[in-house]
Amino acid sequence: MPEPDQISFEAPLEAAFGPVVRLIVGGIAERADFGFEAMDDLQLAVERLLVEAGSDGNVKLSFELRGDGIRTRVGPLRERGIAEALQDSEGKPGTLDLQRILSTVVDSYGVEQAADGHIVVRLEKLRGVAL
Amino acid sequence: MSTAKESGRLQLRDADRELLRRYHELGDESARDALVERHMPLVRSLARRYAGRGEPLEDIEQVGAIGLIKAIDRFDLEREVALATYATPNVVGEIKRHFRDKGWAIRVPRALQEMNAKMSATIDRLTSTLGRSPSIGEIAESLQATPEEVLEAMEVGSAYTTLSLSAPVGEDAADPLEVIGKEDEGFEHSEDREELAPALARLPQREREILRMRFEEGLPQTQIAEQVGLSQMHVSRLIRRSLMAMREELD
Repeated sequence: MPEPDQISFEAPLEAAFGPVVRLIVGGIAERADFGFEAMDDLQLAVERLLVEAGSDGNVKLSFELRGDGIRTRVGPLRERGIAEALQDSEGKPGTLDLQRILSTVVDSYGVEQAADGHIVVRLEKLRGVAL
Repeated sequence: MSTAKESGRLQLRDADRELLRRYHELGDESARDALVERHMPLVRSLARRYAGRGEPLEDIEQVGAIGLIKAIDRFDLEREVALATYATPNVVGEIKRHFRDKGWAIRVPRALQEMNAKMSATIDRLTSTLGRSPSIGEIAESLQATPEEVLEAMEVGSAYTTLSLSAPVGEDAADPLEVIGKEDEGFEHSEDREELAPALARLPQREREILRMRFEEGLPQTQIAEQVGLSQMHVSRLIRRSLMAMREELD
């Protein structure tokens, strides 16, 4: 089986770069033949994650274009609140937190441990029925 | 010798000056109202130049009317200039400032703005025709553009600005949910809402309802769009802006 295409880049967490990241995520989703809605979901997932990650420093983003969708990794992230929010087995009922948002807009997500107590958030988004 | 047209123009100018004198010297508010009414065609004409940039024409006209009123208020009776001449840069300036405050419309290339204006309808039409969410490539083909142009045009309309969430974003001035007057359920009825509830509660009812449908009921954008009578793209933008507004509230 061929290796999936990969794209990685690093972007400032500063809010002004949010639209740039969105544009790139959109371009990657387009190359993976995502429909508008699936692309919008992935853009929203990445955007919310970056907002929660604060505004200082840079963040790495990597994308694997797999046969059925895109695996995204965001991090290492320092923000411990993200790990805590995402490691709860279930989100708090009735709240609209990061866990609730991610579980709605991506097919699955997970938290991977990185060095120095940092985390990497993995997002899996399937192409759906766009093709 | 004056032509009939020039003569008519002078009469209008004299009538304007008389109204301006009544307003400035006698404080006659009805004279100001009459001046506004007389010059609204000018405002509408100037506003139309800025149509198709993601703002409803009526809103642009209202902004232009503010420029007109400022011009009337500032008009110096000593100056030998027609009110229309004096008001035009004021009206245009007010409209440009409005767009500048919104952060994107003036500096975005017109071609992208025009593509953005067509985007919502194209996505909805393709979704209906194909029975699924169209790909960017399909949207691009329909708009005779490249996928990158489509993505850029989408980004044009979803600028990160502090737009009023209750303001219509384009095609829909009417708010169907306000008409229906449906009660909110879900998020706001939770006991775990202390931190979130004020931020959520400050959102307009339509946005709260859209968030509830998306994140509680798990409805896709297409279904939400159908239920609230908006385009899919508009629903997407309202979701993003609402989440952003709530996050800013918590900071």
